Amino acid sequence: MSALTLTAAPVDRPRQTRWLLRLHRPAIYTWAVLWLALVTLLLALDGPLLNAAADAWRQYESCTTSERCSYDQNAILRYKDYYNYATIALNVLPFVLAAWAGAALTGRELESGTARLAWTQATSPAHWLAVRLAVPALGVTVCTGLLAWLHHRAWTASQGRIESAKEWYDRFTFHAGGPTLAAMALAGLAAGALAGLLLRRTLPALAVGLVAVGVVRWLTELAMPHLWPAVTRLSTVDQGFLGKGMVVDQGMVTASGAHVPPPTCDSVASCAAAFDRFTGRYNTYQPQSHLWGLQLTTTALTLAVAALLVTGCFLVLRRQTGTLRAARP
Amino acid sequence: MSSDTALRADALGKRFGRRGRWALRDCAFNLPTGRVCAVVGPNGAGKSTLLALAAGLTGPTAGALTVLGTTAAQARPRVGYVAQDKPLYPQLTVAETLRMGADLNPGRWDAELAGHIVKELDATARVRTLSGGQRTRVALALALGKRPELLLLDEPMADLDPLARHELMGTLMGQAAMHGTTIVLSSHVIAELEDSCDHLLLVAGGQVRLAGEIDELLGAHLRVSGAASADLAPHTVIESRVTGRQLTALIRPAGPLTDDWRTAAPSLEELVLAHLRDAGAPNPTEERAA
Amino acid sequence: MVEYRIDRHSGVATYVQIVQQTKQALRLGLLRPGDRLPTAREVVEATAINPNTVLKAYRELEREGLVEARRGLGTFVRRALGAAPADSPLRTELEDWARRADAAGLEREDVAALFTAVLDKHFQGDPS
Repeated sequence: MSALTLTAAPVDRPRQTRWLLRLHRPAIYTWAVLWLALVTLLLALDGPLLNAAADAWRQYESCTTSERCSYDQNAILRYKDYYNYATIALNVLPFVLAAWAGAALTGRELESGTARLAWTQATSPAHWLAVRLAVPALGVTVCTGLLAWLHHRAWTASQGRIESAKEWYDRFTFHAGGPTLAAMALAGLAAGALAGLLLRRTLPALAVGLVAVGVVRWLTELAMPHLWPAVTRLSTVDQGFLGKGMVVDQGMVTASGAHVPPPTCDSVASCAAAFDRFTGRYNTYQPQSHLWGLQLTTTALTLAVAALLVTGCFLVLRRQTGTLRAARP
Repeated sequence: MSSDTALRADALGKRFGRRGRWALRDCAFNLPTGRVCAVVGPNGAGKSTLLALAAGLTGPTAGALTVLGTTAAQARPRVGYVAQDKPLYPQLTVAETLRMGADLNPGRWDAELAGHIVKELDATARVRTLSGGQRTRVALALALGKRPELLLLDEPMADLDPLARHELMGTLMGQAAMHGTTIVLSSHVIAELEDSCDHLLLVAGGQVRLAGEIDELLGAHLRVSGAASADLAPHTVIESRVTGRQLTALIRPAGPLTDDWRTAAPSLEELVLAHLRDAGAPNPTEERAA
Repeated sequence: MVEYRIDRHSGVATYVQIVQQTKQALRLGLLRPGDRLPTAREVVEATAINPNTVLKAYRELEREGLVEARRGLGTFVRRALGAAPADSPLRTELEDWARRADAAGLEREDVAALFTAVLDKHFQGDPS
């Protein structure tokens, strides 16, 4: 029996992927155009746009205060604008995927009943969903992975050459230039699919998919600074906070060594009095050397959320179709 | 696994939501293979729910439904189903839809039969441009192309003109004659099914009110008329009506009738309507089980 | 080959209609011994009636010894029925009589009533 099914399986497997790609051809074309545009933009940010802006910054640096200064300000602004466009676009991708997955991948199929059509071929609902999640997930991982890599390259190249370049801990830059982008995109896909399965309607699923991925993003933002052991540096009150990076916690140190929030004061006299009570300041932060550690732990967290959402998809489907419930003859 | 029972329900119940309404409750019936079964009943009686359960699109809340000797999920490759609203992918052409059927039903697909059913349609036309009747054809081609052993059709003829109905019913009956396909058709128009079906499942209010071979059911009932004062005991009265001095009734005779009754065989429609009107009529399937 | 026409409002059971129409074809010589009856599939595709109804009718005809089923081949006529093929002298006489009735100004109903009365007088208790 098992030998039979093993040999027969490759021949008898329904070919779903081909039809998934056919049904979503417009979305695939749109995605391809968008993806190529982003790749081009990111390559330009690592090439001509960057070089022009870097030259302008060099001219600006060489200016002395006495002379009338001339530098290509437009190049600097253009670089900054395009960098922001690209970074925001990458940050928005998971939302776009969630909306698409909720609306087109599952919601519309359940609303129009075509899912039932698929489930009454030789394909089980679970297999139908597995293909619907796995194929886009593969494409999304590859495509967003490449975009994140290009973004990281462009950002790295700007360091030291563009004065106004974003720091690594700028949240949008952080999420555009590492594996968290792919993880967030996958979470978006799963969140959208779950919304579609739950609501069984196109437009509500689109909206809820967007909200769901927003919640995932917000939660990871909250958790992210705490996902890697942070560094704490102490300083005197007058030194101000020492250490540069992603701030986890900042405050004052009391005589007993306790860490407390900075005082609030509204006049020179009251502030002097308020700060007099402390022996120093502390700054708990993530230095740049923690970038990849934070990227990987945040990715892992996001992927865990995505896995939960996928599990939710299968549970909802099972509850709706009752396919795993065995009949008792 | 082979079996001579196409569908078997035991205390089958389906409720939507945890505290929702029971769409079906306590249903028990047996449908042997090779039958053409009419599922009739008013709208909202639970016909669609029953077919969806048999198609493995939803699971029972209570009891069990055995499909072709196994679970609905496992019988899936051997069961064809056409939903009431005939869902199809609007962006595909007719030819693409059938190619998809071939890809999704490997090893079973009958391209010739599927092509025959849509032979009058333009194969390059997109499904979204088709009329209701044309969509029904494509949906039926998809369901028949997989050569099902059990074919479930939910109100299949609603969108068709009389000529197309006759032709498609002929195709369905041809399938049944050639392959012994068990066909289950739901409808709320009894006349539509009378000549084609040999088995009846009367569903009302989520319960099976009458189930069995149509000939046997008709044979077990009599339409009688006589004096209004006459007593019909000990026969089971399904429905009776008094007009002036005359009483007419549909009964299930418990023995020979006395001579003062004029009797006639009821039509299927009369039988069904009488049972639908009489909500309290005892269920023959229950009687048989008792 | 016969083609069955099913009249669902006739009040006659469908399988009985098939039996009657087959016998009619046998009487008229449209079906002769050795001829094949249409298969159940051919009948149901044309009439949209249930296959079991056709099989029931064929079983009835077989029981009466008029046809025989040969496995895998089909159902074949065993013997003819009656002695009035379509071109028999009796039919010619009847046609003559009908023409005369028409010429005498009888209506269709008059002719039918007359014919039925004679039929009932000479042939009793054989409805089909």
